[in-house]
Amino acid sequence: MASLAINTHLSTTKSDHKTTVNHRRSLKSFVGLCQTSPETTNSLSLTTPLAKTRPGQNRTRRPVIVAAKSSPIVTGRNLRVAVIGGGPAGGSAAETLAKGGIETFLIERKLDNCKPCGGAIPLCMVGEFDLPLDIIDRKVTKMKMISPSNVAVDIGKTLKPHEYIGMVRREVLDAYLRERAAKAGATIINGLFLKMDIPESLNSPYKIHFTSYDNKTGGTGIKQTLEVDAIIGADGANSRVAKSIGAGDYEYAIAFQERIKIPDAKMTYYEDLAEMYVGSDVSPDFYGWVFPKCDHVAVGTGTVTNKGDIKKLQTATRLRAKDKILGGRIIRVEAHPIPEHPRPRRCAGRVALVGDAAGYVTKCSGEGIYFAAKSGRMCAEAIVEGSENGKRMVEESDLRKYLQLWDKTYWPTYKVLDVLQKVFYRSNPAREAFVEMCADEYVQKMTFDSYLYKRVVPGNPLDDLKLAFNTIGSLVRANALMREMDKLSV
Amino acid sequence: MSIVLFSPPSSSSHLPSLSPYSSKPTHTLKPSLSLKPKKTLFSLSSIKPTSDNVATFVESEKKLEADESAAESNGSVPAAVEAVVETKFEDPRWVNGTWDLNQFQKDGKTNWDAVIDAEVRRRKWFEDNPESSSNDNPIVFDTSIIPWWAWMKRFHLPEAELLNGRAAMIGFFMAYLVDSLTGVGLVDQMGNFFCKTLLFVTVVGVLLIRKNEDIETLKKLLEETTFYDKQWLATWQDEGPKSD
Repeated sequence: MASLAINTHLSTTKSDHKTTVNHRRSLKSFVGLCQTSPETTNSLSLTTPLAKTRPGQNRTRRPVIVAAKSSPIVTGRNLRVAVIGGGPAGGSAAETLAKGGIETFLIERKLDNCKPCGGAIPLCMVGEFDLPLDIIDRKVTKMKMISPSNVAVDIGKTLKPHEYIGMVRREVLDAYLRERAAKAGATIINGLFLKMDIPESLNSPYKIHFTSYDNKTGGTGIKQTLEVDAIIGADGANSRVAKSIGAGDYEYAIAFQERIKIPDAKMTYYEDLAEMYVGSDVSPDFYGWVFPKCDHVAVGTGTVTNKGDIKKLQTATRLRAKDKILGGRIIRVEAHPIPEHPRPRRCAGRVALVGDAAGYVTKCSGEGIYFAAKSGRMCAEAIVEGSENGKRMVEESDLRKYLQLWDKTYWPTYKVLDVLQKVFYRSNPAREAFVEMCADEYVQKMTFDSYLYKRVVPGNPLDDLKLAFNTIGSLVRANALMREMDKLSV
Repeated sequence: MSIVLFSPPSSSSHLPSLSPYSSKPTHTLKPSLSLKPKKTLFSLSSIKPTSDNVATFVESEKKLEADESAAESNGSVPAAVEAVVETKFEDPRWVNGTWDLNQFQKDGKTNWDAVIDAEVRRRKWFEDNPESSSNDNPIVFDTSIIPWWAWMKRFHLPEAELLNGRAAMIGFFMAYLVDSLTGVGLVDQMGNFFCKTLLFVTVVGVLLIRKNEDIETLKKLLEETTFYDKQWLATWQDEGPKSD
């Protein structure tokens, strides 16, 4: 089996690689995984076999559902699930759980938290999560990409009139989702998760220790405990739930952002336009941005490898945008970590991680809100299904089903963005080629289609070939110019 | 607690700089940054002999030198200095954010080599002195206007000559060596499968490994292609029957 060969290769080369993966098992367990769920191994290939396994998936899923169906009926009460963290992931998970008839507790440490965030949501999120249009501050329909040598390219010509990128304030979005969860029947607890006690026997409950701040203004809260049957960890990049289950670490980028209030005349330029600056002065492995918010702009940059230089990178970003933000006043400075890849373990026992806690942020664009909300919903749906609307106890296998579905659905998106980042954020000539490519209409159409609808849509093969040709051409030209530049400096 | 941006701070530009950001009086400014303007001044003067149009560069240099000496004679920090001396990229052939091809004519045809040279110099300038991107003068130059044969002639052909030369040398030597060791002539060698494999390895090696460092680079690239996949599959590594 070809997939078996791939698995062999992966497990043998893993051992001499510096990852934080717990490489305890030998090849055997991977083969075992292969037999029970062929769709996971197929998730490696980006080609059509994915489609072929879909009918097979239903057939092989059956045995796993039966296993959960044999778990004991929860008597006298519904299944209790705690969602730790009340951001987009926690809010949508809690809503789906509550709607599914499960007794849900949402524990959030700061109900008015203004999470520092780019705040961009794709169009599909508005539809899928029934977001009211008034929580969207701005509809961005134009973007400007600016290369290291300030070549500016406008993208957005191919957008249809109803398509846009929504800019939201996190405090507004998070509060709305939490409120909807509460309306569906979830209990919102204002508290800080401290630790959890892993149960000794198979079906005993988890004990969560948290500090409750309910009805307290300032001061320390009361230590409380809560017994639940399953936990969804949605507490963000520095997840404590992840630490409790030993999920392992990930590499993360630091995103640094300054909110700047600029004069109204300059604000009209950013009415529906966002900018992206690329260059090694702005970021060695990411990009700098100017995103419009409700009445000000957010100017920021990020990096994985050069975290110590973040202030210098931010100064460079402000310099590049100087003409357009001149006369502005910094009203807030914020920074936050962005995970670069999923944690080694996203699920352990009846605890699953979603959103930033799991590390579901894409490369290249650093998008996380949609994936957080979607993963929260998917995990909750898996729990609802595995417990038959709260009647039965769930098992780890039910939570693993959410992981399988997630990996299968979104793996192509993540991989494509990873490849884009590796190719185009590598060096200044690559960035110049990137901006040059963005001028092409076909590229713009593909980019926006895949961003707004989260579908990797295969286009016309002839156009794809032309695109590949042009990309290679751009890269070759830019690299040739760079070699000449090096000759100059020597 | 709001910081006013870009209004003249008290201790500004006593060191007029080519890179505007080094004029900010922050304590985090490392000494190396303030040395930079001087270095780039020197690099500009080294570009001088090779460029055709030096008028603007020389003028801006002179202006800078004059300002520097004036400021140095001032001694201590002057009070609110209104004008921050900034040099932007200027070149008479750079018109409206792109190269004016009419100014690159030689014998009635466009001198594409000169266009490439000019663009190289422009990118070098921007790399050393990042400028603010402006909406009034957007830069719209696209390297694809330079025809493919100009790129071929300038970049591909010399390298192809080099690589073909290497391959020919290796080929001749190996053919002689194999012939002297085994007695099999060149024509018979081409029919042998092992020799054909050796030939393939030689061609691939000459193409991919141009410098000694390329071997390490290739190994790292190979690892990179599957690294992300491994990170995603990590969660499936320890799946197995567990009692919780």
